[in-house]
Order: sequence, then structure tokens, then C-alpha cells
Amino acid sequence: MSGYKRVSGDAVEYEVFARKTRVEPLHQVGSVVAPDDDLAMAYARATYDEERWCEMAIVRKDDVIHLWSPGEA
Amino acid sequence: MSLSELVLSIADNKQMLGLRYAEWATRAPSLEADIAAAAMGLDDLGHSRVLYGCLEPLGADPRGPERESDPSSLRNLSYFDEPWTEWSQFVAANAILDTAFTVMIEACVGGSVEVLQHRLRKMLMEERYHFLHGRSWLRSGIESAPLDRAWGEAIEWLGPPDGDTATLHHEGKLSMGPAELRARLEEQLETKSPPTSIDWSKWDPVRRRGRKGAIDTHTFAMLRGLEEKKYAPPTAAKQAAT
Repeated sequence: MSGYKRVSGDAVEYEVFARKTRVEPLHQVGSVVAPDDDLAMAYARATYDEERWCEMAIVRKDDVIHLWSPGEA
Repeated sequence: MSLSELVLSIADNKQMLGLRYAEWATRAPSLEADIAAAAMGLDDLGHSRVLYGCLEPLGADPRGPERESDPSSLRNLSYFDEPWTEWSQFVAANAILDTAFTVMIEACVGGSVEVLQHRLRKMLMEERYHFLHGRSWLRSGIESAPLDRAWGEAIEWLGPPDGDTATLHHEGKLSMGPAELRARLEEQLETKSPPTSIDWSKWDPVRRRGRKGAIDTHTFAMLRGLEEKKYAPPTAAKQAAT
């Protein structure tokens, strides 16, 4: 397995959201680390597909805008 | 060559692809890639079961008793004969061969045979994530040797210009013939296939490959259930025998 490290320095973290029914809101089910959106989608589906979700979405953790964090309110 | 023979070839190849993917479930370059290898392996093993299940409704089942004793009777590509030793082999199979099988499944779903139209459609949705995985890893750059081999075997597997795939296309059973399948594969992968010279006179139309050989004995024993029997408790083995 030459030339590959198990953790890439280029990888970014994505939050994974899903819901089982249309009437419930999306909620966070976990996160994945990947170097691009395509691979993040493939990883999210592979990792969190054990439930029968009706919707799944991912968002780059860096794109989440925090109003305040724990301890700051 | 009938449509059943082609479906059996897809099934055997997906079974072997699933097994080879699964072998990397603890060896891939990241934890996420480990999980993806396991999940894609399970998907492809499931797809092979669905495809085997299509053989009976299609008519004559081409599977004979030789499949229990002769590994060369399985219709897998030579790319799957031995376990992969390099991650680049995994990526080339994921990006090129898995996509080639998907393109053929698209041709089955778009063709006139109802059982294939209905049963294979869901596979295309699941394969989207295999494709994203393979394409992304491909873009990260891998060695050319496994890529060239995977391209060569994929084009061979799609069939000669005047072979069974072309006939099934003319009959309407497949929505694409060899040229369209190859073009679709290239379109999906956003690249032209490397120059290949295939000697179709040496091509085996049943196994859809030019190289001789067969899967390794360990994998063949596992497929037949012999490996599991080694680890079965003696009482369970006795019960199974009675």
C-alpha cells in the first residue's frame, strides 16, 4: 500500500444530517472526514446508512456559522 | 450467448468485486475508506444475489454443476483472480470496472426485458455512491498499471463490435451496444480510455475475458462454504451431516 497515509492532511470534516420521516426535522447523526464533497457523500452514505433515512445531507463543518459556543452565552 | 449468460457474467463479477472490496475493510487508507470498502462490498454481494435471482425468470439458467469444483467455470474477470495487494488496484476496480458493470446494468434497465427493468433499477441508485468514491480516489492520482489493466479488461468485457452485446442491443434487450457502452463509460469517468489492442480471436465469449486462469483456491473454497466449515463447532457439523 505504498504512497498512502491513513489520514490525509487535506481532509476536512463534514457534519452528517438525516431524518427518518418528512414530519421530523433533520438532526445531526455524525460526521465524516474526507478531502472533497464527492468522497464525503460516499463516506456518509456508507457510514450512516444503517437506518432507513428519508433524507440525508452533509455540510462542511467550516461552513457552519456559530453565533456563540458553549461557555460564551 | 444469451441475455442469461450476460446477466450471469455481471453476477459473478459483482460477487468477486464485493469479496475483493471486503478484503480491504481493515486496510484502506482511512477509517472512512475502511467503512466504504465494507459497505460497497456488501452492496455488490447483494447485487449479485439479485442478479442470480433473475436467471430463472429469464429462462435457461446457464449455471452447471462444474461451478462446484472448477474455479475456471466462474465468469469473473482476471482482475479478480487474485486478492489485490495495492490500494491502487482497489481504486482502479472501483472507478473503472464497477462503473463498467453499472453501465451494463443501465443498458439492461433501459432494454425491453421487464424483469431486468424492475429488479435492477435500485442498484443504479446504490452504485452512485460507489462511483463517487471511485472517481474521487481516481482524481487523487494512482499508478497507471492497474488503471490500464482495468480499462483493458472493462473494454473486453463490454464485448466485441459484432458479438453478443451488439446482438442483444439490436434485439432491443439492451439499450446500448459495445460502442455506446464504452462511450458511456468514458463519459462517466470524464476521460478517454487508453489505447488498447484486443485480439478478439483469443477472447473467451463465455467468460468475457482474454486471459486464462481462475480465482485463487482460498477464495474459491470460501465461495463454496468450505472455509466456514473448518471453523464450525463439531456438534454443529454433526447436526449438519444428519
